[in-house]
Amino acid sequence: MIKSLFKVACGLFLVSASGISHADETCMSPYMAKIVGQEDFVYVWTLGEEGLGDEQDKLVTISVNPDAPDYGKVVDSLSVGGRNEAHHSGFSDDRRFLWAGGLDSNKIFIFDVHTDPAKPTLHKTIDDFVSKSGGVVGPHTFYALAGRMMITGLSNNKDNGGRTAMVEYSNKGEYVATHWHPTDEDLRGAEKSGQFADGYGYDVRVMPRRNAMFTSSFTGWSNYMMDFGTMLADPEAMKRFGNTAVVWDLHTRQPKKVFDMPGAPLEIRCAWKPNNNYCFTTTALTSQIWLMYEDEQGEWQAKAVADIGDPSKVPLPVDISITSDDNGLWVQTFMDGKARYFDISDPFAPKQVYEKVIGSQLNMISQSWDGKRAYFTSSLLDNWDKKGELDEQFFKSYTWDGDKLNLEFEVDFKKEKLGSAHQMRFGAYGLYGMDRPWENEQSDEGADEAAE
Amino acid sequence: MRFQFAGLALALLLCQYAAADSNTEASSEAALPSIRLAPGDDKSGYDSTAYQTNSLSLEHRKGTALNLAAFAIEPQLGLPDPKESLELEPNAAEIALGRRLFFDRRLSRNQTMSCAMCHIPEQGFTSNELKRPVGFEGRSVKRNAPSLLNVRLYERFFVDARETSLAQQAWSPLLASNEMNNPSIGHVLEQINRDPVYQQQFKQAYGKPADMLNVGYALAQYQQSLLAGDAAFDRWKYASDKTALSKSQQAGFELFTGKAACASCHLIGDQYALFTDQQLHNTGAGYQASMLGEQKEITVILAPGIETTIPAEVAQRVGEPKPNDLGRYEVSLNPKDRWKFRTPTLRNVALTAPYMHNGEFLTLKDVVNFYNQGGQAHSALSPLIRPLNLSATEVDNLIAFMQSLTSSKLKLLVADAFAADVQDPE
Repeated sequence: MIKSLFKVACGLFLVSASGISHADETCMSPYMAKIVGQEDFVYVWTLGEEGLGDEQDKLVTISVNPDAPDYGKVVDSLSVGGRNEAHHSGFSDDRRFLWAGGLDSNKIFIFDVHTDPAKPTLHKTIDDFVSKSGGVVGPHTFYALAGRMMITGLSNNKDNGGRTAMVEYSNKGEYVATHWHPTDEDLRGAEKSGQFADGYGYDVRVMPRRNAMFTSSFTGWSNYMMDFGTMLADPEAMKRFGNTAVVWDLHTRQPKKVFDMPGAPLEIRCAWKPNNNYCFTTTALTSQIWLMYEDEQGEWQAKAVADIGDPSKVPLPVDISITSDDNGLWVQTFMDGKARYFDISDPFAPKQVYEKVIGSQLNMISQSWDGKRAYFTSSLLDNWDKKGELDEQFFKSYTWDGDKLNLEFEVDFKKEKLGSAHQMRFGAYGLYGMDRPWENEQSDEGADEAAE
Repeated sequence: MRFQFAGLALALLLCQYAAADSNTEASSEAALPSIRLAPGDDKSGYDSTAYQTNSLSLEHRKGTALNLAAFAIEPQLGLPDPKESLELEPNAAEIALGRRLFFDRRLSRNQTMSCAMCHIPEQGFTSNELKRPVGFEGRSVKRNAPSLLNVRLYERFFVDARETSLAQQAWSPLLASNEMNNPSIGHVLEQINRDPVYQQQFKQAYGKPADMLNVGYALAQYQQSLLAGDAAFDRWKYASDKTALSKSQQAGFELFTGKAACASCHLIGDQYALFTDQQLHNTGAGYQASMLGEQKEITVILAPGIETTIPAEVAQRVGEPKPNDLGRYEVSLNPKDRWKFRTPTLRNVALTAPYMHNGEFLTLKDVVNFYNQGGQAHSALSPLIRPLNLSATEVDNLIAFMQSLTSSKLKLLVADAFAADVQDPE
């Protein structure tokens, strides 16, 4: 039997040893194994659409290994019941389970992805997130810490606004603690460095070597569930966006400093190299790239370092992805459907060097560790996606040759009656010490032929 | 008692009348809790780059329960005899039950929406943060969420006056597909009757499990306790406190009852003031929304002090068509009722922005300016609406007067609401 050479790091990445702050592939936690070679599957957390297929949210598994016999096909679809506003997901630190949240129902679905990576199963559903957390609504980012899952909230059960908290769970799915974002009334020991301390939340990332944790801020249930066009024309609603990012003490979970970051800073991606003590984020409404960096005095600072397209036209930057060499940053803009590549070799002066229209609308990107493959999906939020024919729903697989994106295959989520494609996570047999089935089959066939 | 369901009398006999304890101490001004009557993350001044957040901690959002049964029948300056405006005889057990139902997010189909998610206590029991509320799965609701303060003083309910009692009204949002989206009455009742606390509460309050009638009664019991008079205006008008209103507010009152003729519909009586005539009128606001100018551009707020203008078609690509609203006509199908909406009370109006049936006016100044120009002229416009020729100072005085209509009791009600447990799936 021929054993394939999996380029999969199956052990825990020790940050001090590897010198890597955290993996992308895309944007995994430093506390887990990561795939540095060819991924076998992409799991797409998909929103059910009323009137389409079975109308409910589902985890869709797509075969993405070019050597696989079912390459480019949907190999599994696991419906979970209801339209929960499926949004983001994240693996546990052992990468055996994928936690996926519903921003509306507040349910958390924990999928077993290790028993059979080609066919995830629903292991557990947490449906008491709001009551256990003390009123946090909208479980968004699922980010593995050591033995823990840190879950960011977007809203609360008192006014459906943007004030919220992070909620910490054990790997077993047991509630541990709620960490409220600092507000003017209760900064929780943090420094309000500018004019804002809104208490809003969105994403979380960590830089363990600096004992730092970073959060950004979006908006509450009333806005993220609202019809997007209606919201744009509602001045009161448009005031209800976050304008802050916060740096926290990772170990104590205490907020240390609140940065002004006007216009809803969303995804946070930190640099890889051991001396690159900085993280990027982008503001959705004001269309800027922001840098959070440690200065020479060891103090964390924040600065807007570039515009994304023409901010006056509101291109709406959404997902971002940093390359493993810290030299490139993919920035997706929803409204014009463009993937934009920025040269960030000078993090204080990012320059856009490439762009390509991926579809009528575009949200998420997941790129491979080596940066050679990039996957894109279309959906932003159910009621924010474009309407009518512009509401394309797709998964598209591209290769990146350093100069341009080349389409390899795509899955039309509407034609397949799946729903609206949102966040992607990678799976691989090698993570769990398994051989790829088709390689076994090829090996067996070869052995049979040799015997004949 | 103005209205009472058949069959309630027996229930009331069985239930303990729990208004015995005086609420006087709790409702005295000295006991008023420190509560902000505005959104917890106040956005005042957001249109300026000088904006600073003024955000409260949700962990500190605590309250003190009020004896609502006593409060509901406690006379308040400027309001009619409380016993005359009751829909149901106040009962502590029923009110407690209704309050729990009101804040129970499990009562929507996907267990994420309670009545209080659109009628937010510190926001005047409406929502200051949206023109129109967002319902089940984010579905659009075409009308502004009305304040529930003093709701029992209305003779009919909803801005098209389609419902005749608070108890009946309660079922509409529970069943509306774009609000709480429950598939049936039975489904709601099963949800309620599965809960051990409700089992006990319904037994205590009504001697039987939840049913279609007593769920409505309980919600009505809580809502009719949200009585909020005794404003500065009331002390000036009905208690001879000549210092209660500023000169500007007094000038505004003169305009309100004189040149501006607001009091033609927003009635002020000799003994009390409802600030509504309970009638439906066509002010032109509905006509304007239905019939006039599609915007070519919209201004979008991006961040404090930062806004941009985008073509309306850009927003249309990500938005559903604007809903139409014909007001009372949608109930009566009588063409004469097109764009007629019920006169809202103006009590506590300073706290209940945005305004009009569709929330299109964000400030009181927007409202006064609309009426100052004579509403929106068209053939069906109410003859009561005409250009007012108010000066800028007069506009300001009118607004100042309306700001004098905020109840001194409101913080008690909000503190009581803060003390209520919010129910989520467990």
